[in-house]
Amino acid sequence: MVRKYKTKSGYEGLLVVIEGTDGSGKSTQLELLKRSIQDKSYGVMVSEWKTSRLIAKVIDDAKERNLLNATTYSLLYAADFADRLENQIIPALKSGFIVLLDRYYYTALARDVVRGQDINWVKNLYDYAPEPDLIFYLDMPVEVLLKRIIGTTGLNYYESGRDVGFSTDFYKSFKIYQQKCLDEYNNMKSVYNFKSIDGTMSVAEIHKIMNDEVQKILDSGILA
Amino acid sequence: MSKLTEKHNLKGTLVCVEGIDGSGKSTQLALLRDWLKNNGQDVIFTEWNSSELISQTTKLAKKKNLLSPRTFSLLHAVDFADRMKQVIAPALKAGFIVLADRYAYTAFARDVARGVDPNWVRNVYDFAIKPDLAIYFDIDPKISMERICFNRTPKFYEAGMDLKLSNDPYESYMIFQGRVIREYQKMVKEYGLVQLDATDSIHSKQVKIREMLCDILRAKGIEI
Repeated sequence: MVRKYKTKSGYEGLLVVIEGTDGSGKSTQLELLKRSIQDKSYGVMVSEWKTSRLIAKVIDDAKERNLLNATTYSLLYAADFADRLENQIIPALKSGFIVLLDRYYYTALARDVVRGQDINWVKNLYDYAPEPDLIFYLDMPVEVLLKRIIGTTGLNYYESGRDVGFSTDFYKSFKIYQQKCLDEYNNMKSVYNFKSIDGTMSVAEIHKIMNDEVQKILDSGILA
Repeated sequence: MSKLTEKHNLKGTLVCVEGIDGSGKSTQLALLRDWLKNNGQDVIFTEWNSSELISQTTKLAKKKNLLSPRTFSLLHAVDFADRMKQVIAPALKAGFIVLADRYAYTAFARDVARGVDPNWVRNVYDFAIKPDLAIYFDIDPKISMERICFNRTPKFYEAGMDLKLSNDPYESYMIFQGRVIREYQKMVKEYGLVQLDATDSIHSKQVKIREMLCDILRAKGIEI
């Protein structure tokens, strides 16, 4: 394939991903980054994990009724991703947008592997996904995550990995589950070239790092 | 290594029928079911795209022509995984004869005919248990079309209209189902599907199927 564009994704636009566990501050940073890029007169499109019009509701409903096993859990998220990728993300990239993503398939790799799936099986599910131009990873110690989540949304069943059966105690289960997810993210850092950022820094400090990285790419003249 | 190429060691027996619509597979399976039940066997029947978890969503999405080949593939994989884990595997462990109207091979045939990578879709389904008997009913697409479309036009996805092969649903059906058949024929060798001529009489096909199944059951110490 002749690559017309110099972006890693191979499309005219730019693909920027923010990864991290629940409560790591992804949404806040995404919103800030979106505004600062808009201020520079670039077109921005945002897409969040599990939001396809087709499948997101099925996932929520199935979770509520405890209908999922590890395999259907993986495949439903993969279907949601495929739908968003093909209907939103790739069309936006082709039109030259900067696409900001709250989570990418690294989330699936972490969660599904913690749920006992074979990593190569999960990788195969997502092997057609374009490579992002930038991947930010918000690194947070599990103790801080726990406090944040308990202080905001509270512990829910799947975020606590209760379906995996680590412990019937919510607090213990959450801690084990999130720690295992963190371990998986740590394994991926160098493999996928994450820009790892200390998530305990202030919102403004984190934003500045992200904004500077994006600016570097823009200054390189990849986007016209 | 895929489970689909390894013999299972479960107590039960798994039989599936494959072929394009109008090849007579459901008729044969219904005859087989009644006969097995009349002979006091524990039988469970399961069919393609019927899981509580997802089948309604898939049907709705098909109606609206919303699906890309990959999303189409993944949604059917969700359905299959749900039935595999909740119905097929438990029934086989409990010693049932499981009769499946379509199996993973349907996905391999249809999805690949839609342009999905053959290895990708085989990997997606690598949790599928290898059937004890997998029968493929070979039929000419023209005869299939005459059988199922004698009082209606071919449906959007069954005619492969999403692939834009032709604006004429009948012509599109012939091209698309022709591709599906070629994929099935390759699998006769790859997976040891037993090929039967769909144009043979109902009686002669049923006699052959019962003979094959009796041999398999006898090897497990079951006489009918």
